[in-house]
Amino acid sequence: MQTGTKISGVAHLVLVGVAIFGGAFKSDPLPFEVHEVSVISAEQFAAMTASRPAPDVAAEPVAPDALTRPDPETDTPEVTTEADKTPDKALPEPTAQPVPDPEPESQPAPPTPETEAAPTLEQPQPEVVIQPQEISPRPQPRPVDRVAPVPVAAPPPDAAPDEVETPQVNPDEGAETPQEPTKATAPEEASDRIVTEADEKPASLAPTSSVRPPARPANRPKPPSNSQSATSNAVNDAVTEALGGAAPAAPAPTGPPLTGGEKDALRVAVSTCWNVGSLSSAALQTTVVVGVSMTPTGKPQSGTIRLLSSSGGPEAAAKQAFEAARRAIIRCGAKGYDLPAEKYGQWQEIEMTFNPERMQIK
Amino acid sequence: MIRLLCCILAALVAAVPLVIQPALAQQGPLRIEITEGVIEPLPFAVPGFVPDNTAATDYGKQLSQVIAADLSGTGLFREIPASAFISPITDFAAPVKYADWKAINAQALIAGAVTVSGSKLTVRFRVYDVFSGAELGNGLQFTGNTDGWRRMAHKVADAVYSRITGEGGYFDSRVAFVSEAGPKNDRRKRLAIMDYDGANVQYLSDSSTIVLAPRFSPTGDRLLYTSYETGFPRIYVLDVGKVKRRALDNTEGTMSFAPRFAPDGKTVVFSLAQGGNTDLYTMGVSSGKRTRLTSAPSIETAPSFSPDGRQIVFESDRSGSQQLYIMPTGGGEARRISFGKGRYGTPVWSPRGDLIAFTKQSKGRFHIGVMRLDGSQERLLTASFLDEGPTWAPNGRVIMFTRETQGASGRASLYSVDITGRNLRPVRTPDGASDPSWSPLQQ
Amino acid sequence: MSIFGKILTIGALLAVTACTNATKYDNAGAGGAGGAGVSGSASDPTSAAFFQQSIGDRVLFVVDQSSLTDQSRSVLQGQAEWLLTNTDYSAIIEGHADEQGTREYNLGLGEKRANAVREFLVSRGVAGNRLKVVSYGKERPIEICSDESCYAKNRRAVTVLSGGLTG
Repeated sequence: MQTGTKISGVAHLVLVGVAIFGGAFKSDPLPFEVHEVSVISAEQFAAMTASRPAPDVAAEPVAPDALTRPDPETDTPEVTTEADKTPDKALPEPTAQPVPDPEPESQPAPPTPETEAAPTLEQPQPEVVIQPQEISPRPQPRPVDRVAPVPVAAPPPDAAPDEVETPQVNPDEGAETPQEPTKATAPEEASDRIVTEADEKPASLAPTSSVRPPARPANRPKPPSNSQSATSNAVNDAVTEALGGAAPAAPAPTGPPLTGGEKDALRVAVSTCWNVGSLSSAALQTTVVVGVSMTPTGKPQSGTIRLLSSSGGPEAAAKQAFEAARRAIIRCGAKGYDLPAEKYGQWQEIEMTFNPERMQIK
Repeated sequence: MIRLLCCILAALVAAVPLVIQPALAQQGPLRIEITEGVIEPLPFAVPGFVPDNTAATDYGKQLSQVIAADLSGTGLFREIPASAFISPITDFAAPVKYADWKAINAQALIAGAVTVSGSKLTVRFRVYDVFSGAELGNGLQFTGNTDGWRRMAHKVADAVYSRITGEGGYFDSRVAFVSEAGPKNDRRKRLAIMDYDGANVQYLSDSSTIVLAPRFSPTGDRLLYTSYETGFPRIYVLDVGKVKRRALDNTEGTMSFAPRFAPDGKTVVFSLAQGGNTDLYTMGVSSGKRTRLTSAPSIETAPSFSPDGRQIVFESDRSGSQQLYIMPTGGGEARRISFGKGRYGTPVWSPRGDLIAFTKQSKGRFHIGVMRLDGSQERLLTASFLDEGPTWAPNGRVIMFTRETQGASGRASLYSVDITGRNLRPVRTPDGASDPSWSPLQQ
Repeated sequence: MSIFGKILTIGALLAVTACTNATKYDNAGAGGAGGAGVSGSASDPTSAAFFQQSIGDRVLFVVDQSSLTDQSRSVLQGQAEWLLTNTDYSAIIEGHADEQGTREYNLGLGEKRANAVREFLVSRGVAGNRLKVVSYGKERPIEICSDESCYAKNRRAVTVLSGGLTG
């Protein structure tokens, strides 16, 4: 037989095989060390890379661990946790994405080249890591009543609290279409972690950093389960793509599969209303799975919200956790969730797992 | 060869639909996982309780004020002021206009009514989950003396708090403490007791002798404390109701201090100092029979029982610096549980049995902290010039302690903090105050 | 120490009219001048005032320690000799600690300090039944600023005489 047929046959086999089983090979990203990096000018960078040969000799006696981990005495504990968090977030996002207050200088474009530059700077490690000591003290999160996944700056003083920020609208005399005056609303000021008095101002004293380090291991275990659901999602996605998305006719339009971004939008929307502040510590250890049916306009049908299963805590705690989850779904769904109408069939029924493990005393 | 390849290919293609079918069937409900939420005070509204008769008019407003203060004081709730209400509640039995409360973002609504007849006060209340549009739990009614109206308000607040958070309540409780007056080198100290929120302060001793560290019995009817009335520190037990006291130990040539009740209320553990050595002893309250628990040449003090009475946590400097140890109540091998850098003292076992609160000194600062029973997950909740002597609220969620300020005009006062480290706030007392002890929930 | 001498003299004058119970102490005054001795001036070597001013009624301690320094020992040697000469008097040794510690621990530490002084005096021949020990922990500072200069003075053991006149 010709080589052409052989090659074609093998290629088809491989294609089908990858289509079916490819998802299984997806693995966690290798954990990478995130180094403290500051913005440097091109000249400085050239100067550093130019003198590369010399440090190689000097680098040996230095214990790499002592240098690569930011020294808690000179650097603020917050940044360490921040850096550790990034591997846990959804993978395709560049690591610079969750850029809350503590890293103001990474805001403009440089972040991506900076973090990509980090691996190539591995060799002149000693020089790069000495930089952190020159970074100005990072703005500390103040103790604030509200703790949310994304920190929010203090709102204008007369803004009423609301999830969505809307500016104050005053009727303008000469306007063509009169607008109703509405009061300014803004999300309430929020910090992204609980700040205890013992954590405050660690820069002035050697910090009682016994608070910070134990938090790290608690953040670790998440990636495996994330990748598992990511795996099954990827298999679904790949298979439906391979078949050209021709699903059997369903009563509701399913359309193309929901993108990660759309699912994320729903997840974040519910998260903003999921208030665990008033949950008992037993309820904070209980994971609940809640089912809900949605109307085509994206609003949850309150009557259909039901507890499907719970784990990790006693029944009373599960009830509390379920109540908080239900409040979250209803409150943020009052105006309807931002879900694509043409994919209604896919999100008509939703099962949400509320796992408070990461919310326990950050 | 070609046939083989073709067969394999065909088989795979045929198998694909088999794989697809279950995959498509899996595409039933959309599944998402929420792992991050917010921690914010839950907004609630408690309109004035509806008075059922004119005698009850004042009480209606006062009750709702105490309830609101209790809930807001936890840091977990935020009161929506009455000025923001759209429709007031004028009839306890009328259905609730949920839309009006949703509009002002009240997530919980507490409605109540109060009746007064003679010296009898009756309070009824209901809790509503506004966004679910339904009542949360059942309505409840409390009856009591008009003098005890604050306690009833606390009981209502406890019920609301428990229903929403799932935690046990702690508002209907009292705190015993030492009231301090005068300059730092001539402090007048006397025993005092008050409601946990600072109301109804009563003095239980005069300031003629130094008194220290009162501690409640498990039923809240007695106090153990240390007094210098004989010229030496000795432990006494005081009946709170009758304000009658009795020395528990008066052995010549010794000093006793740091007493605590066992959970059965019949035994007391304390420190006895003599001959340059301080050790732990237990004693029957009625029998007076003493049993020695430790005999190390170091200072062993500040003992505290576990809620099941089987273990005692205490501090000792046998290792060269003050550290925390746990040993069986009958005496025996003590195991160390504190390992951080610094000195650890005044350990107190949580009423939930899961944590030990303590005072830690490190680098010239004092902290109140908590740790698990094996010493892991140590967390510091406060930091200042001098914080010490934590005591647990009955639900094991809040800690009260003494904070003293620096310098010649330094003054002691009481503070409370949530176990997460949030909501650090002062407790108001008429004068300086120290050594708080939280009573159990009153019945 | 002249202020103490004055207080003691005034107290002595007042106390001449009444006997005081040697074991009862009240809160007034950190020096614990409850029991007055013979009314006499500091130049009288048998007076309590002399004991306080010339012999020295107190010794100081290092942070968290109850061991006697050489200087303490020489002061206590003087105290022992005086007590052996003036056998009318008994004494209460007060142990104190500075505020840099928790309450109960400081009570225990004060007791160790007072006991160290007592043992020294007993080893120099003073009868044990003349010496009692009490700890005030951090409850009775004499200096109230919050730094080492004050703390050093608060970490003390004071030998307070009593019983000159009681029959």
